[in-house]
Amino acid sequence: MADTGVERDFFEVAVEEAVIDHVQDRLDAFLDRDPTVADTDRTRFEMALVEIVGNIVEHAFAADADEGGRRLSVDLRLAPDRIEATLADNGVPHELDLGSVTMPDTDAVSGRGLALAVAAVDDLSYERVDGRNHWGLLCRRAGG
Amino acid sequence: MIEFDVRTTSDNIGVVVPRGRLNMVAARELRERLTGLVEAGTTRIVVDLAETTFLDSSALGALVAGLKTARQAGGDLRIARPTESVLTVFKLTNLDKVLRPRDDVESAFHG
Repeated sequence: MADTGVERDFFEVAVEEAVIDHVQDRLDAFLDRDPTVADTDRTRFEMALVEIVGNIVEHAFAADADEGGRRLSVDLRLAPDRIEATLADNGVPHELDLGSVTMPDTDAVSGRGLALAVAAVDDLSYERVDGRNHWGLLCRRAGG
Repeated sequence: MIEFDVRTTSDNIGVVVPRGRLNMVAARELRERLTGLVEAGTTRIVVDLAETTFLDSSALGALVAGLKTARQAGGDLRIARPTESVLTVFKLTNLDKVLRPRDDVESAFHG
């Protein structure tokens, strides 16, 4: 690895519901590499990552009937001052403005995912590049 | 992975104990378990979160749906013993106001 002190894990998976547990397992093992990661940072990063992966599973392939072609790549990076993830999928584009995402009322049974992700991490970004959806998550570590 | 323990107490309070991660896949099962209890006549339900290691927005949705179903049947749904990380999710979504965490299962309907 070129960057000193930066841990990295990159993997690609087929998009299906079981992928959520798989990504959580990978993230847990990845963050275990650094025992100084604070529980609060681990919690909020995992929370945001699961919401975005869940969003991809639920929405990104709504118009795509070919399950075999649904791919998600996950790039995890851990530095002394930050935890980052970049997710890319070949699903349908999203029409969304993350700046206008709001938490729904307490009686809503859905619609909290993106709002929770926005609230959990320090930066969440989405862009459509070369026919793929790209999500970026950044958590600035406590004391980092 | 997740496992659910479901039991009904002698005074007909349903106790659901999810062990593991409550994410999108598990949330569907949670919702079915809660609906099943209400349909069987157990309208007061405690979801014991002491062994729930993770909880996402779809699980929150399942709890809110369970709360509505229970109340429509004249009962209620309460949560008990969430871990610190799970409690964070309730606070971020303001659901700690609607589903106020109880200290233990036994007193959830008596406190």
